[in-house]
Amino acid sequence: MLTSRISRRDFLKIGGAAAGAFAAAQFIPPKVARASGHLLEDADGDGYIPTLCEMCVWRCGVLAKVEQGRVVKLEGNPEHPHSRGRLCARGQSGLMNTYDPDRVLTPLIRVGKRGEGRFRRATWDEALDIVAEEMLKIKNQYGPEAMIFSSTHNLSQVQFENLLNGYGSPNYGTQRSLCFNAMVTAFTLTYGVEEPARNYADVEFILLVGRNLLEAISTSETSELVDAIARGAKLVYLDPRFTKTAAKSAEWIPIRPGTDAAFLLAMIHVIVTNELADCDFVRQHVLGCDDIVEAMKEYTPAWAESITGVAATTIERIAREYAAAGKNALAHPGWRTSNFVNSFQTERAIATLNALSGNVLTPGGCLSAESPEASGIQLGKPPQPPYPRISALRLDGVPWKYPLVPLKLGVFQEIRDAILSGQPYQARGWFISRQNPVLSLPDRKRTLEALSKLDFIVVVDILMNDSSWFADVVLPEASYLERFDPLHVADSRIFIRQPVIEAQGEGRSALWIYKQLGERLGLGDYFQYQDEQDYLRQQLAPLGLSLETLRLKGYLEPPITREAKDIVFNTPSGKIEVYSPTLERAGFSPWPTWEEPPYPKADEFYLLTGKVGQHTQFATQNNALLHKYEDVPCLWIHPQAAEKRGIQNGDLVKVNSAVGQVLIQALVTEGIRPDCVYMTPGYGHLSKGLRIAYGHGASDSDLHVTYTDPISGGQALTQTFVTVEKA
Amino acid sequence: MSDIHKIPLEERRRLRTKYYKKHHLANILTHWFNVGMWLLLLPTGIAIISSPRLNLTPLWWQELFRNIFGGPANLIQFHSILGLIWGFVLIFNVLLGFRKYFVPFAASRLMLDKDDINWLKIKPLQMLGLMKDKPLPPQDAYNAGQKLYMYVVILGTVGIMVSGVIMTFHEIFPSILKQWAQPLHWVSVFGIVAGLIIHVYMGAVFPEEKEAFFSMFSGKVSAWYARAHHEKWYWEKVKEELEWEDQIQQETSKQAEPGLPQSAATD
Amino acid sequence: MVAKKRYGFVIDVSRCIDCRACLVACSVENDVPMNHTRIWVKDAGLKGSFPNLERMFIPYNCMHCENPPCIEVCVSGATYKDADSGLVLVDQEACIGCRFCVEACPYDARYTDERRGVVDKCDGCIKRLERGLQPACVATCVGGSRMFGDLNDPNSEVSIALKHASSIQRLDYEKDGHDTDPNIYYINGDVLHSGLTIRDPRYTLAEQSWKKVLVPAVLTGIGASFLVQAAYFTKQLLEGEKEFEE
Repeated sequence: MLTSRISRRDFLKIGGAAAGAFAAAQFIPPKVARASGHLLEDADGDGYIPTLCEMCVWRCGVLAKVEQGRVVKLEGNPEHPHSRGRLCARGQSGLMNTYDPDRVLTPLIRVGKRGEGRFRRATWDEALDIVAEEMLKIKNQYGPEAMIFSSTHNLSQVQFENLLNGYGSPNYGTQRSLCFNAMVTAFTLTYGVEEPARNYADVEFILLVGRNLLEAISTSETSELVDAIARGAKLVYLDPRFTKTAAKSAEWIPIRPGTDAAFLLAMIHVIVTNELADCDFVRQHVLGCDDIVEAMKEYTPAWAESITGVAATTIERIAREYAAAGKNALAHPGWRTSNFVNSFQTERAIATLNALSGNVLTPGGCLSAESPEASGIQLGKPPQPPYPRISALRLDGVPWKYPLVPLKLGVFQEIRDAILSGQPYQARGWFISRQNPVLSLPDRKRTLEALSKLDFIVVVDILMNDSSWFADVVLPEASYLERFDPLHVADSRIFIRQPVIEAQGEGRSALWIYKQLGERLGLGDYFQYQDEQDYLRQQLAPLGLSLETLRLKGYLEPPITREAKDIVFNTPSGKIEVYSPTLERAGFSPWPTWEEPPYPKADEFYLLTGKVGQHTQFATQNNALLHKYEDVPCLWIHPQAAEKRGIQNGDLVKVNSAVGQVLIQALVTEGIRPDCVYMTPGYGHLSKGLRIAYGHGASDSDLHVTYTDPISGGQALTQTFVTVEKA
Repeated sequence: MSDIHKIPLEERRRLRTKYYKKHHLANILTHWFNVGMWLLLLPTGIAIISSPRLNLTPLWWQELFRNIFGGPANLIQFHSILGLIWGFVLIFNVLLGFRKYFVPFAASRLMLDKDDINWLKIKPLQMLGLMKDKPLPPQDAYNAGQKLYMYVVILGTVGIMVSGVIMTFHEIFPSILKQWAQPLHWVSVFGIVAGLIIHVYMGAVFPEEKEAFFSMFSGKVSAWYARAHHEKWYWEKVKEELEWEDQIQQETSKQAEPGLPQSAATD
Repeated sequence: MVAKKRYGFVIDVSRCIDCRACLVACSVENDVPMNHTRIWVKDAGLKGSFPNLERMFIPYNCMHCENPPCIEVCVSGATYKDADSGLVLVDQEACIGCRFCVEACPYDARYTDERRGVVDKCDGCIKRLERGLQPACVATCVGGSRMFGDLNDPNSEVSIALKHASSIQRLDYEKDGHDTDPNIYYINGDVLHSGLTIRDPRYTLAEQSWKKVLVPAVLTGIGASFLVQAAYFTKQLLEGEKEFEE
């Protein structure tokens, strides 16, 4: 018995002089995974199964280490361009998402009053029958448009869209207007691309306009930025708050909120009036080349100083530095750009700056106006009939109220308000999949009111999130480590999300749930696949690739022939439309322009929100591992402002906006403008089904006032002004 | 010492051939079990203690035992398993023989009386070469020194057991107990060891006490030895013997009387 | 024979963004209890005043010292410096979780795993090393701040990083004859003036009493006892045995 207990190190002690020989043998290279048996198990029975992360929307490649049917560790897949062997804190914590003790593991049907949180367990058949019955009832009685469908940015989205389009509802809530509508709309109008890719390989000058890339982490891009800074690239960062990105920047400019566009327009002014731009590129590719000097004439640095509070000399210097870096300068498009109703103009100015530096589509250029997904790989899909014609107006006002908002983005907050107003018609039901409007939409009180007006709410989720809490039926999804999703293409490779463990409880994939529901709704033709793997096989069929190989390797690299194209932008003119005739026709300024934002009163603050590196929106606050390493959610307030109100660090404070009030602990810090306060978003959960997150922190959604940008449809989150007092 | 020199030769011869039982077999077995366990536990225990700050055990000793056992974990495991067996057997023996052996032992052989106190006052001085001619008070089955050492052993044994259990089952005890358990274990052991040096010398080497050594096998000592070293106990034994003789005589005389045959039958 | 390995960390503080991926990765890899952590990212706090601010993050964990104060106090040898890798490790089968070492560590890098009643700490993910993998914290480090390898190997990533570093610092504890000689090297940033403090090793009352009171007392007792025995024995040898005289 004793000998069997001798550990490796004991061996060395016994060995004495032989220790050296042992030492050489200790650190051998990893066992080569055997490509046989159950996927990728090695001789020890340890498996590393490739799949895709879903802790945020970046979709890093993951190698899941599995032991005896349990995931024990997640590693970044070195083969995946988004992870490159690394995962962020959220990615690393992914197994606690699967093993969350608060997982919903069977279908639930509400028995108490809505919001009371009393549910009973049900079988899938019963739950699906009820959902189908209710949805059909609404369709027959009020028309399909009375049913709202919402789901955000996930790989099963295609089949979700099949469900809603087949059902015949125009009301699709994507939540994107709470996030990046301003960026996507501006870049689509200017470049014909939703979100241009960034290239940091040769970058020398980076301008981040409120893009807190070191906390709002996209693993590979965040790594690339850190690499670039370490290499000596200059980072200029505009943010009213001293974030971790600010801590690593060469220059932090705590610009007045809502005035970024003025700063950027002045930069454009300096560049064009001094002819510092890449003139060849601009002449060839930019629409508006000839008139831009005139159009930007009034936006002098001195003018911008009066608005932004940033010295004119600083603006001029930064503009010159930016221009000097040429195609190695990058003005980052940003991500969650829903800040002010003028955020669209900010994004247009960023788009213009990139066009002027000639960094687009030129060799070594730092911005690629080609979407990362557009790699030339054409996946197949199951056959399906055309969708029924939809004649009803969209509740979110696209395009009848918001002509320029892309249909696939929509204006989410308008849907909520339409439920309340009953205009242009009354919505009756809401199908929510993997989304949490109760916490994501501004003005939570109104959202809850809207929910209470509906006849039927069904939520697909893995947790009893805040929206599930108010649902009539909750359908338990399998977690991302337990299910297949449609394939994902990134950088000329096809990646797979596949189950690395058996689904716990009754959890099922979205592909299965949508198909079951589709069949019950008489939409079976839109779901022509046997099961998840059959769906994937049909996706791979036109490429002649095998699912088995893909499952083993985690990715496939189909040979693609990409003809060298001339640079043509996907805009009406084929050029970068700094001057946009489309905008002009819709009655908006064709040039990036200055729109005065509202300013807070003397005793009010701008309410800033912004991500932390340890959480994804409202979805991860119940994750024990992230909870372990998070900062206590606080209200940041500048010492001057705090002193004036008698607030000490750690005090409980009352924050009031026009629509709500929250209580939260104060963090008195120099790291914020005296006219701003900052709140970590995503806290303040209402659902008692989340034992860690419930009652922890406060919700910024309680405070946010609903303001919509008429061009992009973006919700202006920072346009909410608050007062703060000691509680 | 006392008046032993006055005993005539005949009597001396008689005493030398006469034996009294001093130790029960149970005690003898327990004693030697204890000895065996100590021989295994003490060196391994010493080898475990490797704190450079305490600097108690030579490195070669640590390494020797670690190499024999294959590392500290195995050494510790051996030590604690053996320790548990040791503790279990001792406690088991005490409980099993509690009424028959332990209570009489504790009551008649461990209590200090006036003579013992006096002995303790004189003996250490004599050892230092003082008061050579002062007679030592008569001693019981164990002399006062042995009695005192017995207390040390009993306390130490309890200390070793309690601290050993705390360290062995470390999952369930708070760290503060585990912190104190270690010095307690050590001081208990070496408290006993300090006395053990004399105990072993007296028991195994010292010529005057040779009989005591053999008695730990046979259980018996000569009346002469008892008379010389444990006079009080000797007279007790003599008294017991006389009482026994009286009793036998009474019984035999009773048996001679007629009219009470049934009592003999029921015996 | 191969040169002795000296595994250690090189941390580029200019690259740490306090994303805490390392913390979570470590917790998962090593099944660290929810109320403990093996590694930290120390936020040195804001320096300066608005808008001229600086902020620095200092990742740390067990420094795998060359002269670790934890080993000095470990009674059972459960804490040891692995001859093979140079890592400071805890043999949990030999550990009883008394916390002598926890108190002694100037970096507070150790904790008690109450579930098992043993002390735990960063072990450089030695099980991963054996499989040729980097420690979990290093493998996932988003900013590329954490590096790990053999400091004795001039071609290792860590040695090369040190060669190209603009500054090299260590959080050495040097006082009263102690010199921990830690094996975490901080490069490209001033961690010594970041406000991070290293505490003096603490010795528990039990350990102190043992060392300062019990050891001298017991050794005196044993010595006295030995002298008595020796005196008698000498006498016995000198006088000879008068066996029959008894």
